[in-house]
Amino acid sequence: MSIRFEKVDHLYSPNTPFAFQALTDVSLELSEGKITAVIGATGSGKTTLVQHLNGLLLPSSGSVIVGEQTIKAGEKLKNTKQLRKEVGLVFQFAEYQLFEETVLKDVAFGPQNFGVDELTATETAKAALKTVGISEEDYEKSPLELSGGQKRRVAIAGILAMQPKVLVLDEPTAGLDPQGAKSMMDLFRRLNREQKITVIIVTHNMEHVLEYCDEVVILEKGRLIFHDSAREFFEHPQFMERARIDAPNIIRFREMCRQKGLELSPDILTVQQLAREIAKRRKKR
Amino acid sequence: MNNITLGKYIPLDSPIHRLDPRAKIVAMFALMICIFIPTGFYGYAVIGALLVICCIAAKLKVSYVLRSFKPMLVMMLFLSVVNAFFIKTGEPIFTIKSFTLYSGAITQTLYIVIRLMLMIVITTLLTATTKPLDMTLGIEDLLSPLQKLHFPTHDVAMMISLALRFIPQLLEEAERIIKAQASRGVDMENGSLKEKIRAILSLIVPLFVSCFQKADDLADAMEARGYVVGAKRVRYKQLKFRFGDVMTIVLVNVLLAGFITAAIWMGKNNAL
Ligand SMILES: Nc1ncnc2c1ncn2[C@@H]1O[C@H](COP(=O)(O)OP(=O)(O)O)[C@@H](O)[C@H]1O
Ligand SMILES: [Mg+2]
Repeated sequence: MSIRFEKVDHLYSPNTPFAFQALTDVSLELSEGKITAVIGATGSGKTTLVQHLNGLLLPSSGSVIVGEQTIKAGEKLKNTKQLRKEVGLVFQFAEYQLFEETVLKDVAFGPQNFGVDELTATETAKAALKTVGISEEDYEKSPLELSGGQKRRVAIAGILAMQPKVLVLDEPTAGLDPQGAKSMMDLFRRLNREQKITVIIVTHNMEHVLEYCDEVVILEKGRLIFHDSAREFFEHPQFMERARIDAPNIIRFREMCRQKGLELSPDILTVQQLAREIAKRRKKR
Repeated sequence: MNNITLGKYIPLDSPIHRLDPRAKIVAMFALMICIFIPTGFYGYAVIGALLVICCIAAKLKVSYVLRSFKPMLVMMLFLSVVNAFFIKTGEPIFTIKSFTLYSGAITQTLYIVIRLMLMIVITTLLTATTKPLDMTLGIEDLLSPLQKLHFPTHDVAMMISLALRFIPQLLEEAERIIKAQASRGVDMENGSLKEKIRAILSLIVPLFVSCFQKADDLADAMEARGYVVGAKRVRYKQLKFRFGDVMTIVLVNVLLAGFITAAIWMGKNNAL
């Protein structure tokens, strides 16, 4: 599904003393089948941007085009349900949305809202729970009994069970331990590769961007200041500086090598690859 | 959620904003009493004019004040219809089939509607120009004579200020959860009764869970900073009466006295 923003502005609480322009003139086309990172300082409008994707927020001016649907400023959404089903949006701290008595019921809630019968919904729920790595003995537990990381997985399963074509995640790894965060990112990559789901992730973690993402979108005070491949992004440290982001260790290491006259390929993204490259070069010498 | 204007503080700088909260609370009560003193439409005109001046002085937009009437519109309409059918005093104005509209019905309805509107403007003026925290300080001070009767004014004030402090956060949280559930296909408006109940549950349960969590965290944070229920506390922010505050209180009391005199005088004249 293609996703396009055309000159989108978003104004919160218009015509009140609290009016606030959170997005200004954003034009953007997100690539199908890729993993795109949305980054920017807190308050730069990342959440506002992604909430336009499934029609939770409507543009104040301009339009958002998602697949067949055009969401125009000032017009009512026609096929809200269809849009919400195709674009699955996982909120920040999604674990706070769990409410059913059991994990399985909660995950099956989504598909049932889209008219799937209970039996089929339960089957899709089980498959989704398996995908996110929740074991079968937890199916009948109350969501409140699970650990924080597990709760978040259940919440993500709740969205996956709707079988979306696009998966949007607002800071999905915030507050998780590094190991949990990494396996969460692995999950998104698996979904992207195996099920061809377009993934859009709001994140502050540049190590994750480096290792997992194909494209990068940077927002600054509600304006789009960069949209290109992740590789291009890491070649231009000034954008990281502008967004007040520390470059990942690998990138800093590469910069340091370059200053000392040693060129390393920009394809090297992990410590393992780096170690292999260094070993190879030593052998050559 | 963001359309609720009643009871929201509007951060501006104006003479009304700078008044002492105690003066404003006292003035509000005095004006409310004035409204209930029967002085006819003349009295309402006086209060109305005064309120218009206050709104201008407080730099409140007309549209903002008008919007605070919205929640009451349905009630006013309902009242008008009921009054039209049941009040049969005064002159008959017109008759359609068996229904006759009397002038009494119109004046009675106008009385009630104007009274309601004035009350709304008065409360809006107070809440829009007074920070919730200042309001609680004001309430606490005004209640302080009750301490002699062992009424826990400190604790009550603390409870009110905590409640007020959490209202915006709760609204925000509710909005967040509504959006999160909408992303899962919940439709709060349409659907069968069963679906609606489930939709409401999907909002209420997470809201309760997070409320309890927040209350727990807050209690811990307060205790960690040495808060003990009922213990004596000093206050960082001290309220001080200034010339304008004294004048406000004198003014509303003069107004109140004037209203009472007018009511008595009118009553006598009518009796004659
Ligand atoms: N409901 C709202 N009403 C008014 N302003 C809001 C609302 N939600 C967010 N904002 C403001 O919009 C700006 C962008 O917010 P957001 O999109 O949440 O940023 P980010 O996700 O990048 O931190 C912030 O300055 C925030 O204060
Ligand atoms: Mg955000």
